[in-house]
Amino acid sequence: MTQHVLETDGQVCPFPLVEARQAMEQIASGDELIINFDCTQGTDSIPQWAAENGYPVTDFSKRGAAEWSITVRKS
Amino acid sequence: MTLDQVSDGHMIITGLLLGAVLGFVFQRGRFCVTGAFRDLFTIRSTRWFTAFMVIVAVQSIGVFALDALGVINLEGGTFPWLGTILGGFIFGFAIILAGGCATGTYYRAGEGLVGSWFALICYIAGAAAFRFGPLAGTTDAVRSVEMQDGNLQEALGVTPWILVILLVAGVGVAVLRQLNRERQMHKVQLPALKSGISHVLTEKAWHPFVTAAIIGIIAIAAWPLSWATGREAGLGITGPSAQIGVFLGTGDMELVDWGMMLVLGLLIGSFIAAKASGEFKIRVPDAQTTVRSIIGGLGMGWGAAWAGGCTIGNAMVNTATFSFQGWTALLFMVLGTGVAAKIFIMGGGRKGATATPKLTTVS
Repeated sequence: MTQHVLETDGQVCPFPLVEARQAMEQIASGDELIINFDCTQGTDSIPQWAAENGYPVTDFSKRGAAEWSITVRKS
Repeated sequence: MTLDQVSDGHMIITGLLLGAVLGFVFQRGRFCVTGAFRDLFTIRSTRWFTAFMVIVAVQSIGVFALDALGVINLEGGTFPWLGTILGGFIFGFAIILAGGCATGTYYRAGEGLVGSWFALICYIAGAAAFRFGPLAGTTDAVRSVEMQDGNLQEALGVTPWILVILLVAGVGVAVLRQLNRERQMHKVQLPALKSGISHVLTEKAWHPFVTAAIIGIIAIAAWPLSWATGREAGLGITGPSAQIGVFLGTGDMELVDWGMMLVLGLLIGSFIAAKASGEFKIRVPDAQTTVRSIIGGLGMGWGAAWAGGCTIGNAMVNTATFSFQGWTALLFMVLGTGVAAKIFIMGGGRKGATATPKLTTVS
């Protein structure tokens, strides 16, 4: 299993999610995508997207003030 | 100054308090009307739009109850259809560029998004120019094209309660369908580091429908509180924002009213919510986002002036009273949002902030 990091800090919604969806298409099945974001609304939209697509979330944490990280596995 | 005026002067403080609560709830609930409209097109999701309609339905019950009790007095005006259609579309288009509607821009400004500061300043300038300034003539001209029947209940000659029941039933069905869908999926939450009330208020992810119901109640409370100060309306953002623009130039104290306190409260409330939740950070946008925020802010001021209100005043409040202006503005705002989303989010112009996402493989 390979982990890929997607840095989206500084991007406003909905662009972190737009990029996450694109990145998910690029990586291999079984790989994990670590998405770093600092758009507040992403704390709702990104886990929602993972849930709706049935992607397991292996980590979801706050990195600092208004900074989050979520790890989603492509299944 | 009469005694009444003195008490009116003190009463506008309720605008500041209600605005602060509203700003807090918007920030904590991650409530974004732009997102609600946009998601219909970009991810074909009605989740947030349904939440938006929950606010309209809850408020509709409350407003007509207040009217029946004689606390407020709803009067049907005319329907300036041309301004509503054009302004609604312009506003809807602009909120995609600005990255948030008027209210969204206020509360994101309070979260430390510098792009929203630009958008907010330009929105205030645009609204002032089109409401009171050199461009007010265009607003008067476009809004002079009108129809006499201002709302649905008068046009149909029915009691508004029939419409309230239909609205509540329709929204209720949409809510149940969404909740059913959610029962079949597992959404991950951030690990809880706080407990009790501080967890609920400053950490927990609120369900969109809970946030919407709270906003609906705040929107109801706005009517009698605003009415008590002589401002006979519910929540409104664009009028007060235009007043801020004029006030900054003239210092005219007559302009300082309940509505102006409300929008200032939005900023304060969202700042408090973001600070308390560890979600305040000064975030500086890139060049493209900055330019879009500025153009979007001006477009919001222009569109809201022509339409007679923003996503709150028109799409959320005037819809609750079944005015044609409110529903027409809602429809054209959604259409404007859809066109702009196709161009700026889904189109080839910019997919994400970079041409292709920057991926780093770590292991």
